[in-house]
Amino acid sequence: MSEEKMITVYIMGKAYQVPFGLTIMKAMEYAGYRFIRGSGCRAGFCGACATVYRKKGEYKFRTALACQTTAEDGMYLAQLPFVPANRKEYNINELDPEKNVLSEYYPEINRCVSCNTCTKACPQELDVMYYIQAAIRGDYRQVSELSFDCIQCGLCTARCPAEITHYHVAQLARRIYGKYQLKVPEHLEKRLKEIEEGKFDEEIERLKNMSIDELKSAYVQRDIEKIPRGEVSDE
Amino acid sequence: MKLIGGYTEEMRESIEMVEKTRDERMKKSFPPMSLEEREEVLNKYHPDYKPDKKRAVKVGPNKGDLAPHEVVDLLEAYPLIDPKEIDLKTIDYDVDLLIIGGGGAGTVAALWANENGVPAENILMATKLRHGDANSMMAQGGIQAADRPEDSPAIHYLDVMGGGHFANKPELVEALVKDAPFILKWHEELGVQYDRNPDGSYVERPGGGTSRFRLHSAKDYTGMEIMRVIRDEFRNREIPVLEFTPAVELLKDSEGNVAGAVLFNMETEQYYVVRAKATVLATGGFGRLHIQGFPTTNHYGATADGLVMAYRAGAKLRDLDTVQYHPTGAAYPEQIVGLLITEKVRGMGAQPVNKNGELFVFPMEPRDVEAASFIRECARGNCVETPTGMKGIWLDSPMIEEIEGEGAIKRNLDAMYRMYKRFGIDMTKDPILVFPTLHYQNGGVEIDAESRTSVNGLFAGGEVEGGVHGKNRLMGNSLLDYNVFGRRAGISAAKFASKRSKPTGLNLKHVDSYIKELEKAKVPKERRSPMLLPDYRGEKVLARMLDIF
Amino acid sequence: MDIELVEIPKWNCCGAVSSLTADDVMHHVAPIRNLIRVIEMNEEGLVNDEKRLIVFCSMCFNVLRRSNKRVKEDPKFLETINSFMDEERDYDGSVKVMHFLEILRDIGFYKVKERVKKPLKGLKVSAYYGCTLLRPRGVGIDDPEAPSIMEKFIESLGAEVVDNPYKSLCCGSYHTVGGNKELVAERAYKIINAARERGADLIITSCPLCAFNLDNRQELTKKIHPDFEHMPVLYFTQLMALAMGMESETGFDGNYIDPRPLLRERGFLEG
Ligand SMILES: Cc1cc2nc3c(=O)[nH]c(=O)nc-3n(C[C@H](O)[C@H](O)[C@H](O)COP(=O)(O)OP(=O)(O)OC[C@H]3O[C@@H](n4cnc5c(N)ncnc54)[C@H](O)[C@@H]3O)c2cc1C
Ligand code: SF4
Ligand code: SF4
Ligand code: FES
Repeated sequence: MSEEKMITVYIMGKAYQVPFGLTIMKAMEYAGYRFIRGSGCRAGFCGACATVYRKKGEYKFRTALACQTTAEDGMYLAQLPFVPANRKEYNINELDPEKNVLSEYYPEINRCVSCNTCTKACPQELDVMYYIQAAIRGDYRQVSELSFDCIQCGLCTARCPAEITHYHVAQLARRIYGKYQLKVPEHLEKRLKEIEEGKFDEEIERLKNMSIDELKSAYVQRDIEKIPRGEVSDE
Repeated sequence: MKLIGGYTEEMRESIEMVEKTRDERMKKSFPPMSLEEREEVLNKYHPDYKPDKKRAVKVGPNKGDLAPHEVVDLLEAYPLIDPKEIDLKTIDYDVDLLIIGGGGAGTVAALWANENGVPAENILMATKLRHGDANSMMAQGGIQAADRPEDSPAIHYLDVMGGGHFANKPELVEALVKDAPFILKWHEELGVQYDRNPDGSYVERPGGGTSRFRLHSAKDYTGMEIMRVIRDEFRNREIPVLEFTPAVELLKDSEGNVAGAVLFNMETEQYYVVRAKATVLATGGFGRLHIQGFPTTNHYGATADGLVMAYRAGAKLRDLDTVQYHPTGAAYPEQIVGLLITEKVRGMGAQPVNKNGELFVFPMEPRDVEAASFIRECARGNCVETPTGMKGIWLDSPMIEEIEGEGAIKRNLDAMYRMYKRFGIDMTKDPILVFPTLHYQNGGVEIDAESRTSVNGLFAGGEVEGGVHGKNRLMGNSLLDYNVFGRRAGISAAKFASKRSKPTGLNLKHVDSYIKELEKAKVPKERRSPMLLPDYRGEKVLARMLDIF
Repeated sequence: MDIELVEIPKWNCCGAVSSLTADDVMHHVAPIRNLIRVIEMNEEGLVNDEKRLIVFCSMCFNVLRRSNKRVKEDPKFLETINSFMDEERDYDGSVKVMHFLEILRDIGFYKVKERVKKPLKGLKVSAYYGCTLLRPRGVGIDDPEAPSIMEKFIESLGAEVVDNPYKSLCCGSYHTVGGNKELVAERAYKIINAARERGADLIITSCPLCAFNLDNRQELTKKIHPDFEHMPVLYFTQLMALAMGMESETGFDGNYIDPRPLLRERGFLEG
């Protein structure tokens, strides 16, 4: 270990000395916090660790994922344990994708004043404002593409002056796009039919009844689809 | 410490070597190992094959079976609750179906139980963190299903068996591979988006140990895409869920069936008694046990609670002697050590190379073999060392851009790209440093093809159960597993519940007798389980902690 | 007509819905953000047009031009907006907001006439301006008391102009979404009847809300006044597409009162 450089962070206003080079999450743990809320995947996928902070001497109100952000000297930190958000129940099978379902279920999206605060709050650096704009237009594909990496942390929603619940709007849009506008590939439909007709039953039955040695030799002899480019499997 | 593009000067020197050999390597290949070669590298270098890291369990249904010390320590441990202190007369939740664990398996089970006649209000999900804070949310690479004409469920079957060292339970593998295409169709109907080719077919990629391209992904957010859709559907059905309220012990009725659980509200520290006609265990894996000190890819709540509870209730476990180490966990920078670098990075063409820029292994060996080869390469002194003393192998990610064209990383591996960028590294230009990390619980509670455990009334699906993957799981088969066996658990539990009346005579006698066994085996009294959450508080804090409030 | 229109990448709604009724700083953010996009487009070489933003909808036009005017006249106000949008480049007031009709006028209506393939001979068209194209003074595109730009447009398509004394009477605007649909229906009654009395076949407008109010509200108008006769209400560009022989672009499917039977009868549409 190289010698530890210590920094000062303020957890909900209280100063703690922690080593430099930790994530905000690990820095809080080092300081003695044991999370119940505020820690989920610890890897940037679940949005449990939404954090707001300010740096000493700065007017900017910043947001971050505690598990994906290095703690810096002079950070004033607080976690968002929960975001109360308006979510509508719906039946995915009974929606009419020809209409703007998003506007229907979440009419408040039309209150967007294009202040862009949501975009600035997003730790995934998504174009949140633009996906809301696309939602206003009922453009499911665009909402889908722009919001795909949304980890539903709720930071945008906590900051929006128009009280929009962006991530629920986006979830609805993605499901509509996925269900109604992307087609089920033919090869999948075909395979389902084959399975239903029992096409593979016999072969699987045969494999199931093999001794381990027979299986091993079948395994070794199975042909391996070539990985294109470079890596050749049979030399 | 001076960093250039996120790396130290020493690391930069090694990166130069990697760059120098890249063109040559692009044309080159490395032969896959024979079964004998695999055996050899595993025996010598895989962490699982070190005899001193395991011991035989002294109590319970698997008495005499080997498992890692960290797991045995939890199995041979006293319960958190004192059965005498729990008032089982007052029932807080009285339901048909209790689902323990709010990850993928639990959610799928709830949906299919609902689909099979259990009304939403008669289901209760209890989970430790938030609904969806789970390994299922984190999967990046993809899900397997043999749906291309070049592929078949039978070929899939053979791959699974071979990957699992032929120790898998055949009936479970059959269910896994045969249900797979159906699961994709179900996802489609719910609105899950899998990557498409321009002609509308799925993009399918190879995974370690698969003989066909059958990995379906949603960029590198596959797990998240599936999980958030099924959770959304779960919410639409208004199925009740208790968050931050893990189960701490299973309950039985007078006939010895599992009949609910004792839950613990971690925020108010109060317990609840749940009576249920059927119980589904979906608590996931055990990465947070940090077996042999390895870092892990797993979420905060992956602490083997389900294994412990089921074992005390008499359920048989299996294949716990092997643990999956994912070959490519982040080894640098320190902030993300242990986090997963999806196998898709190799699937898309990035080669693992040593500090001299040499390719030393076939990039797509099964996980255990690949991981062992990395460790061997380090033993040969060919590892890169980080400033904090971690060792690592380069994963030559810029190759992906050369092979698939500029922008391929951002398009397909956005989560990875974003993570490295957050810490100052551009993986489209520089390689990334990796080392094996604790990833998956290969074994678990034994089930049959209907997802029944060996104890009546208890069903299991997902990472907590065992038998599907034998001694080693292949990539993309565990998202599939939680869908296939989560669904089967939900359906079986719904059937079971519909056939029985409300359980009577709730008791914790199985815990009492387990305690007796522990005492007989002279297990140290201070050992307690389930763990619920790991403790990462700083040592200085722990040293001065008072338990007075 | 030697003009090429390029869509703003990532445009946002100008906020017309709220900004006409409230005038705080926040509501100017949305329009100005679009104007910044225009500057960026010029810088990135996507367009090269002296930073003109062409708007088709009167309402959006009104909002955008009003905001633009406000920031040009009030540097302190501009500074506040710029510092609020500190993630964007500063706006400098250099974009010119223009309604599409203005562009046509600048190019010359004779050029429009040259492009007409099917002159709408004998079709009697009444122009409806509403409010937002003309008011307030200094924002509007024509004399608010005696506007003539739409009439010139109608003539250039070969149709016949029918004057309407109520051509800039407010259609009721947002009352249509609030509780007062009846007010809107009454206005439609008044405006459409005046046009009919003077022999008009149809009405054109350049505002989607006016179009909605005059078109879709006719259902309610008919309920209140059973004697009322329907009249098609077209967006001005629909008429232009028809005259220029771009029938597939006319989008008549979206009209509540279908103009096609009339247009077929007059021989302007096939079939
Ligand atoms: C980083 C990462 C990447 C992966 N990538 C892939 C991949 O690409 N393809 C693939 O097929 N697989 C992948 N896997 C594996 C796969 O994601 C998991 O094995 C699978 O999702 C497990 O699902 P599950 O529902 O069984 O468990 P989980 O999703 O972990 O859910 C278990 C839930 O139970 C809760 N819980 C735990 N204890 C208790 C208790 N006592 N009471 C109540 N609730 C409790 C947990 O908090 C959690 O919410 C990956 C795993 C990780 C960690
Ligand atoms: S924060 Fe709200 S109001 Fe502002 S741009 Fe985003 S969605 Fe619109
Ligand atoms: S869009 Fe909103 S909820 Fe989604 S990741 Fe960004 S800030 Fe979080
Ligand atoms: S803990 Fe999941 S995103 Fe940080």
